[in-house]
Amino acid sequence: MELGRRIASRLHDATFDRIAQVGLANAATHRPHIRRSVLELAKLPLGAGDAALVVAAGPSLHRRRSLERLAARGFPGTIVAVDSALAACLRNGVVPHVVVTVDPHDRIVRWFGEPALAVPSADDYFRRQEMDPVHAADEMAANRAVVALVDRDGPRLRVAAATSAAPSVVSRCRAAGMELFWWNPMYDDYERPDSVSRELHRENGLPCLNGGGNVGTASWVLAHAVLGKRRVGIIGMDFGYPPDTPYEKTQYYPELRDMLGERFGEAFVHFENPVLGEKWFTDPAYCWFRDVFLEMAREARCETFNCTEGGVLFGPEIKTVTLEEFLDHG
Amino acid sequence: DIEEKKEDAEASATDEFERKALSRLGGSICFVSKKGFLWTGGAAQS
Repeated sequence: MELGRRIASRLHDATFDRIAQVGLANAATHRPHIRRSVLELAKLPLGAGDAALVVAAGPSLHRRRSLERLAARGFPGTIVAVDSALAACLRNGVVPHVVVTVDPHDRIVRWFGEPALAVPSADDYFRRQEMDPVHAADEMAANRAVVALVDRDGPRLRVAAATSAAPSVVSRCRAAGMELFWWNPMYDDYERPDSVSRELHRENGLPCLNGGGNVGTASWVLAHAVLGKRRVGIIGMDFGYPPDTPYEKTQYYPELRDMLGERFGEAFVHFENPVLGEKWFTDPAYCWFRDVFLEMAREARCETFNCTEGGVLFGPEIKTVTLEEFLDHG
Repeated sequence: DIEEKKEDAEASATDEFERKALSRLGGSICFVSKKGFLWTGGAAQS
């Protein structure tokens, strides 16, 4: 087995190690302030019909101008956006019905705009990431623009917040007038007597949602398992990088470099997208996300339409269509 | 016995190093295989 896939096969446990402790600490911080469960979202009129569109923040969202095309075509169904795609949505006049946030780390607040940011962050994450290119060009100006957008549209937004979410993110959402609907990440097998998930549910009464490793997959789960949508389209869900991306511009580059030294390039896994004929590549994390998504799609009571028009997420469990095909017939 | 314990300690240290390194590569939320999508606290909805 190649190195990238070998690492990917160990990321189930590694993810628990990475986020369980801080996620549970964040849940304890949020607990006194939790008012509404994510299950209440199913009772609200969030778009018409039984179709939803999940907006993830992979590079195809910009390469394929997916949001411009969505705004031009219109969509009567439910729009669920990941936190890192929120600003791009609002810039294009797309106000999602629900925004999903899960990550326990404080830097995620940047996706909602940081009003107090005075200097560019020492961490180059936002200058390097592929999810919203405007942050790479001018970090400070991009942040000011996001603050203005989120302040303007915040009162119209509902956030499906994992109890693992960073307190700074939750504070920012509240300050911008967003309404919060809470859920627990499913950390482990809830049937085990020593289950962390079971204990967390006992403490706060909230449902546990199987997140699939990342906020994009968690948003797709929310669309069909919480909102009950039977046809779910996805855009911007690449789980990989376009052929011309330098390794230095990938999300886990510093970690792979630290771990593997000069061998870091061996950790990337290459796929040919059968629709585009393009060779995309993933790092071990995205490779794991892809495997998990395909496993979950086999079990889901919904049809999944990948309208990303790029990336590495393809298989018999998923229909690959253009965005317009889904918007018109999905 | 000493050699075996030394090897065990080295293997354990390697495991710990690998585990810490791998944890930096993990996702932002867990995945639990074969446990459905939503557990509300009886079977998870699938």
